[in-house]
Amino acid sequence: MRTGPAAAESGYLHEALCYASDDELLAVAVPFLLDGVTAGEPTFVALGERTGGLVRSALPVDSGVEFLTGAGVYARPAAAIRMYRKLLADLTAGGADQIRIIGEVPPPSLGSTWDWWARYEAAINRAYDDWPLWSMCAYDTRITPPDVLADVAATHPHIATAGQRHLPSPDYLAPESFLRQNRPAPPDPIQAYPPLLELTDPTAAQARSAVHQAGLGQLSTEDFDDFVIAVSETVTNGLRHGSPPVRLRLWTAPDRIVATVSDTGKGPDDPYAGLLPPADSTPGGLGLWITYQSCNHVTQHRDANGFTLRLTAGQPPGLTAVTQSEPPGGERRPGGSGDPQLSSGTRP
Amino acid sequence: MSGQALPYGHQCWAYDDPAGFTPRAEDFLRSGLAAGEQVWYVVAGSEAGAVRDRWRDLDLFAEALSSGAAEVLTLDAAYSGVEVIDPAGQVSAYQMATRMALAAGYSGLRVAAACTDLVRTPAQRAVFASYEQQINRMMRGEAFQGMCGYHRPTLGDRAVAELACLHPEHNVTDLLFRLYAPTAHQGHAVLVGELDPANHDLFRAALEHSELRPVDDELILDASGLRFLDHRTLVHLSEYAQQREARLVLRGCSAGTVRLAALLDLPGVSMEVTR
Repeated sequence: MRTGPAAAESGYLHEALCYASDDELLAVAVPFLLDGVTAGEPTFVALGERTGGLVRSALPVDSGVEFLTGAGVYARPAAAIRMYRKLLADLTAGGADQIRIIGEVPPPSLGSTWDWWARYEAAINRAYDDWPLWSMCAYDTRITPPDVLADVAATHPHIATAGQRHLPSPDYLAPESFLRQNRPAPPDPIQAYPPLLELTDPTAAQARSAVHQAGLGQLSTEDFDDFVIAVSETVTNGLRHGSPPVRLRLWTAPDRIVATVSDTGKGPDDPYAGLLPPADSTPGGLGLWITYQSCNHVTQHRDANGFTLRLTAGQPPGLTAVTQSEPPGGERRPGGSGDPQLSSGTRP
Repeated sequence: MSGQALPYGHQCWAYDDPAGFTPRAEDFLRSGLAAGEQVWYVVAGSEAGAVRDRWRDLDLFAEALSSGAAEVLTLDAAYSGVEVIDPAGQVSAYQMATRMALAAGYSGLRVAAACTDLVRTPAQRAVFASYEQQINRMMRGEAFQGMCGYHRPTLGDRAVAELACLHPEHNVTDLLFRLYAPTAHQGHAVLVGELDPANHDLFRAALEHSELRPVDDELILDASGLRFLDHRTLVHLSEYAQQREARLVLRGCSAGTVRLAALLDLPGVSMEVTR
């Protein structure tokens, strides 16, 4: 039987936990987790290294709480959704009445790449609604910019606070409404310069060739190969579903390659495009979803000239600056890296 | 020619001027004569006389015509049926001719054929495409090499592409892939080049014409020469194998293709990465 404020619900209870101190985080997180374990519910922590360590230290030994570790959990929104949907499906198939997760978008992603995480926060209201999930998304108000907090309020239907209070968010927007907003794409400074390459109505093969011409730079082979796939898929979608002309522009910097693909159409009708595979599972409709899985940042934007997708491989600008910021008095350490890993127990 | 040199010789030469095939065919056959092979030039019946007359003025070919090392044949004489050929019968005929050439002391048989009249209609092309793959397989085990000439203005770009993609070598510059018979250790077919939505229909047709037969419930494709494979093609290959109750094994594919297959969560697909 399901426990807590979602006891009478069947789907997803999505709460924001906005805290101003470590004590405030623990005051909500610890009872949330321990109550889950007591109820026999699969209970997970997917926090960063610092906050995860805080919570781990506050839990009893062998608490039964499981830790999803590694930066890979929240490396890319579409990948996080894919991973969590599989986890939730497996746990529910195994008989779980409710699953509890407390997680956080890594602080570096609260900067120049926040836009696609904001879309993630909106999209998961539907993406996880097939399962009895109760999750809390933790945001440290000491380091979270005000515009991000506004998005948090708009994408979380509920807010968790100390004293086990669960309040509706007055600023919540239905996910489709949030996702249909035409939000300005944060500019990449590289776009102030003329592109290295510009092609009009290229074939997908010509687009791939252009990326190879731009070169690997300092990117890993994996990032580069995935970027080639993403550009090919995006140009294909533009040619097939957009309105001509389709323009591909490429910029390079030592730490990244940036491509924009624009056409004069309206862009995809599906507000979840990119974050979720299309519901009808038509293979040809998977291109944007694959693109979101293959890049380190994807933005989409509409204006009077049409629709533009911007793809970034390598290091999106601004991530480093945000990484260095720390909460006052905090002991932030660099986050881990790699694929998500599951560990159980409370203390190493 | 596009692409790299391949271990066996089955070339497609698309040409725009009727005079354009003969010089290329003669180069191909001249190499055969130099290698001690018997050579045939197969042309439309109306052209055979003119070719023979021309060859009598070319020292190497004149000598070869006299000795029997070179022959000029009409399509009617060389192919089992000009209207619609019999693929298996034609392969057998060339196999027998190759063995006769070997028995006569030649090192093999090499044929250049102006095939346009054999593939004018979609029905003719479908059968001929099946033949092209069957002759690919035969060439892997016999001392037989061939060059197929197709007149592009007569057939059109699409028809030429349908046939060219089944050759290990071709000169069609905007045709990005090839699908042909492998050596014994390469599995059931070799895939080379780039596969994306622009050539997806062409690839589907090529795959159907190839009539691949899985062994031990596995359909093994050599993908070591495949530079790009998009998700639609990967899904289609997976379905093709499943329809034949086999697992799809892609040998030598890129790590990126492996990641793509993992994303798509395709059933019955194995990837063997070597790069």
